[in-house]
Amino acid sequence: MKNPDFAADKALAKDFLSNFADPRGEPKYLNILQDVANRKIRAVQIELDDLFHYKDVDEEFLQRVTENTRRYIGIFAEAMDELMPEPTEAYTVDEDRDILMTQRVDEGADGGADGTDPLQRMPPEIKRFFEVYIKAFSKVTPLTIRQVKASNIGQLVKISGIVTRCSDVKPLMQVAVYTCEECGFEIYQEVTARVFMPLFECPSQRCKLNKAKGNLILQLRASKFLKFQEVKLQELAEHVPKGHIPRSLTVHLRGELTRKVAPGDVVEMSGIFLPMPYYGFRAMRAGLVADTYLEAMSVTHFKKKYEEYELKGDEQEQIDRLAEDGDIYSKLARSLAPEIFGHEDVKKALLLLLVGAPHRKLGDGMKIRGDLHICLMGDPGVAKSQLLKHIINVAPRGVYTTGRGSSGVGLTAAVQKDPITSEFVLEGGALVLADMGICAIDEFDKMEESDRTAIHEVMEQQTVSIAKAGITTSLNARTAILAAANPAWGRYDMRRTPAENINLPPALLSRFDLLWLILDRADMESDLEMARHVVHVHQNLESPALGFTPLEPSVLRQVQAYISAARRVIPSVPRELEEYIATAYSSIRQEEAKSNAPTSYTTIRTLLSILRISIALARLRFSETVAQSDVDEALRLMQMSKYSLYSDDRQRSGLDAISDIYSILRDEAARTSSMDVRYAHALNLISRKGYSEAQLKECLEEYASLNVWQIHPNTFDIHFIDA
Amino acid sequence: MVGPQYDLVGNPLGAVRATFERTAAAATAESGGSDPVAAFRGKDWGACELFRSFLFEEDGLDKVPVLNASNLGLIKPNTLVRYRGMVQDMLGTEYYIGAFKDGSTWRTNKFTDFSPFSMPHPCDSHLWERHLVHCVPAPGQNSWTLESSPGPDVRRMSSCLATELREKRKRDGDNDDMDVSENGHEESPLLCKKPKEDDVHVPSSSTEVAEGVPEMNGGDHHVPGSSFSCLVKVYDMPDSQVKLNDVIEFIGVYTFDPELATPNDNPDDIMLDLIEDVTVQLPPSKVPRLHCLVWRKLSPHDFISRPPVVEPSPSILKGIRQSLLSHLTLVLGNDELAAQCLLLHLLSRLRNRVDVVTVGRLSLNFTGFNRESASIFGNQLYSLIQKLVPYSQAIPMSIEYLNTATLQPRKDNKSGRLVTGVLQLPQGSHLTFDETLLQTGSLTSKGVENTILLKNLMESQKVDYDFEYYKLDMATDVQLLTLSEGKSNILPSDLVVPFRPSSVPTINADSEELESWRWYLATVRSLPQSTEPETYQMIQDEMVSAMRDDRSLGCSELSRWLTMAQIIASSFGEKSLSLEHWQMVKELERLRKQRLQ
Repeated sequence: MKNPDFAADKALAKDFLSNFADPRGEPKYLNILQDVANRKIRAVQIELDDLFHYKDVDEEFLQRVTENTRRYIGIFAEAMDELMPEPTEAYTVDEDRDILMTQRVDEGADGGADGTDPLQRMPPEIKRFFEVYIKAFSKVTPLTIRQVKASNIGQLVKISGIVTRCSDVKPLMQVAVYTCEECGFEIYQEVTARVFMPLFECPSQRCKLNKAKGNLILQLRASKFLKFQEVKLQELAEHVPKGHIPRSLTVHLRGELTRKVAPGDVVEMSGIFLPMPYYGFRAMRAGLVADTYLEAMSVTHFKKKYEEYELKGDEQEQIDRLAEDGDIYSKLARSLAPEIFGHEDVKKALLLLLVGAPHRKLGDGMKIRGDLHICLMGDPGVAKSQLLKHIINVAPRGVYTTGRGSSGVGLTAAVQKDPITSEFVLEGGALVLADMGICAIDEFDKMEESDRTAIHEVMEQQTVSIAKAGITTSLNARTAILAAANPAWGRYDMRRTPAENINLPPALLSRFDLLWLILDRADMESDLEMARHVVHVHQNLESPALGFTPLEPSVLRQVQAYISAARRVIPSVPRELEEYIATAYSSIRQEEAKSNAPTSYTTIRTLLSILRISIALARLRFSETVAQSDVDEALRLMQMSKYSLYSDDRQRSGLDAISDIYSILRDEAARTSSMDVRYAHALNLISRKGYSEAQLKECLEEYASLNVWQIHPNTFDIHFIDA
Repeated sequence: MVGPQYDLVGNPLGAVRATFERTAAAATAESGGSDPVAAFRGKDWGACELFRSFLFEEDGLDKVPVLNASNLGLIKPNTLVRYRGMVQDMLGTEYYIGAFKDGSTWRTNKFTDFSPFSMPHPCDSHLWERHLVHCVPAPGQNSWTLESSPGPDVRRMSSCLATELREKRKRDGDNDDMDVSENGHEESPLLCKKPKEDDVHVPSSSTEVAEGVPEMNGGDHHVPGSSFSCLVKVYDMPDSQVKLNDVIEFIGVYTFDPELATPNDNPDDIMLDLIEDVTVQLPPSKVPRLHCLVWRKLSPHDFISRPPVVEPSPSILKGIRQSLLSHLTLVLGNDELAAQCLLLHLLSRLRNRVDVVTVGRLSLNFTGFNRESASIFGNQLYSLIQKLVPYSQAIPMSIEYLNTATLQPRKDNKSGRLVTGVLQLPQGSHLTFDETLLQTGSLTSKGVENTILLKNLMESQKVDYDFEYYKLDMATDVQLLTLSEGKSNILPSDLVVPFRPSSVPTINADSEELESWRWYLATVRSLPQSTEPETYQMIQDEMVSAMRDDRSLGCSELSRWLTMAQIIASSFGEKSLSLEHWQMVKELERLRKQRLQ
């Protein structure tokens, strides 16, 4: 390998800095340098992406920059020194540094006799008012800490991890400045490591000639210090191979990068992986071992919100492709928790929970929430918790907790005494932490009484108010709540009414947009299904194949990308639909009034729920307006959620299986206002009610003979004969 | 190459260097001298191969001493030793100067902590990496497993003794290493007087057993540092080969450097806040360093010293099964049903986990115990289990234990180490819970956490390790036996059997029988299973009809039946499951149901 020509590279760097233009044609780096000259910013971040796009930069130069980053930071800094423009705006010159600087420049002008003395020449660092960072390619997927190897030493690497510890920010000497008692010269000493050997004897020409051995005094004020912070980064849980322990890495943050992270943050960092020499006793003890650290060049927090979600690579394309697919709604829904069998409508509801509706703020300051709240109620062991956990994984910001959260903070917020400063501090609970995200609360029914009162506020006003220990405040908790609860008495008791079983006060219940009851019902077909499943698992030691192919291996990522794209759409309800929705609402109210034992709570909140669900559905289609089909689907979901509660009533009311199947199909046809019901669809519908395919066939034949409908001879699709 | 020129046991590093220099010289000649060594990063140049063939093909393994607390300090540094332990913590990678150019020859520092040659400064050097693994004796390891590989008596091996080194060095006039050996020598007797528990079981074999057998009360051997641990440096390992909680035999170079061993009380040591060196907490005088040349995972089979037969044929297995079953019946006071279930339980093994379902586990709950009977039968039972399985522990489930014990392994981010918990166990461990000690009382938050942890372990064979900012599931394979008065709700077992003894056990097995039973358990547990789909089809139909009769049957029961049938099949040495075995399960279930009513 030929030796790199640093002078030529510096010229190239200079050329790049002065000529690189951003998409708008502005000279990006010259503008930054102007800001630096005007003392507006300190950090100059050179992005490798920009270098890559610059016409004169070739592969080799890029490679040199990534493999010998520290050297090239110096080269870029030198190039910037030369390019630094004059300040265009006045800035305050009250800093000590500036005064010292002016003096130094003056001295340099009239003195200069000893200009040859390297220690007396002002090092460029002390003049600089900026810090140079080189940022790694943004497109490159970050390495895990495990993947950083000895071969990466000296290179620019990008890693992701979770911050586990942070040190205090401390000053780190960059240039030590001394004055000599004898000759009065300022002596500079550049410090590149964490320790340095102070100078004691004046090395200047004059003192040497006079053999004066001038005493040097360290001038703390004149020296240049950098902010310095040490951070421990640990591998993320998902990057740890099975049966291993997460590794960690020390990261040094300097200057402007300090105070950017706190323990618990998930971050992506680019930096230079460097060995650290040991000093003194440590060096002796360490023997041949070298410690390593990462000198941070950039710190990026992981996107926690949909709004900040960046689409990577061909994701936009994939989303477009998915959006064209007509059946995206059920496809996405089925991709949620694919390992959990069935529960399609529940999954659809959960998908809508992820999508949500936009928040509305009215002119008079009133807020209407857009988040959907869903409650899953069911017998123990029907995979409620699994569903919850899965949703949390899909959501970019999700908190999973149980009604009896173990920490003292609980669900809402608490005022706590800081053990060190003994000040009162406000600590947010799960709901506050899930602000702008999803909060999954398992064992909702076992919630503490204090939290239960607070949750009323969270669910409608989306704030947590607190007035304790002299702190009165209200915290944002704009979160969608996904709750899971067991029925009262542990198991759903068929002999009691749903209201008795649910065991939640109406005030709380009405705040949920959808309430699903997942029951553990037994019938012949599911028995067989279960036996088959058990045998299959034991025989092949793997799960039976799913009945469909989930989107693609990277399902989770795709779902996330799709949802984030969908959340950007803000659909509106067209005027012509208002009437339709109002009628639908009033009919639900009517129905409830007619029933002798009103067990549902249809309030004005229900109307808002219908709107929210319809809007979420429109978002999924990337549509700016809500269509009637969205409202229909919303009504269907609400109806289904009710059926999940009351389908037993229907059975008890004397309908035999055949007539019940008929009524289901009739309802379905009426709902979709068409005369046709596809066989597969019909099968779906009735299996949800616990009927078998054989029963459906029987029903089809029976009613076909009565000329109620016609059955397609091959596909068995149903066509109602209009009466 | 004809035979090793070096004494591979006494001077392994000599062999390492010789092979390196030879290969490096060859590479230099070939490549024209540009940078021949760079290719050796993360690669073996033939040294490990040399040792491997010496150990396993030339029966060198028996000549290598086993490193333990009693002979630490006796063994001369830089000799070849063996160490068996469980990977308790993985401390990440360490970077070291792997090779440097001394004049015109390349030298290597691989497999050692310090260079015998002074390094010219500055010089061409390469930074290589190695993995640090912290090992402890496997928790709950039973004493009989130690008999299987005693290794040569160190005291009789003059070439490995440190004292000899001292005399030789005196003659040579060599300086610093001398104090070391003295140091090590004087310190070690103190060190090995670590609290020993339950010395009764330790046989008086030539090798002293340092790690005592855990007592019924759990002992304190889980507190880090209280037992003999070892820092193993593993080279050239593709990631994910050595796993946490694996029990591994490492064969490598034992190093000990006096200068590194002096206690660090130098105040000048600048405060490097976060770059704490975890190795500082593991002083070399207490935690020996081992540079691993060759390693292998240990299976239960490796602990059996004299395998009775080579080929496990069904007829032999059936015979042993009968003798083991009758012994179990006697120990359980002539309760044959309980003995059958216990046998199945002991043979159970986690075959696979599918999503959240685990296949093959069979945890057992004997009900009907009270405090007195638990002390009679429980102790008998436990001491038998101790003699049968390689790793076992008994845990007293009292309120106090639940509230105070550290069950969950936890990462201490301050020290950068994994603090072990009782549930950090090697694969294939056996745990016995004595729930008769439980009384009414209130659990603290720690107690609640502990019970949740135990429940998770029971239900999904997983232990959550606490990494402060997140929890990591670690898959385990642990057999769990609970002795309780009524059906245990804290520890929901797969199989609940009311225990009905009719006599008091007074029986002891001779060692030959024990040997054959151990071999039987290890063999049957590793038998492969392959059953025809037709059989499964028939069982499936049986299940459906059973469900029609009994609506309360769930997935877990069906799964358990199938597991039991499979274990019964393999307990007879059969590779495939037949309907006959299924009938036996049904019969067992019927008898069990009768008792439950």
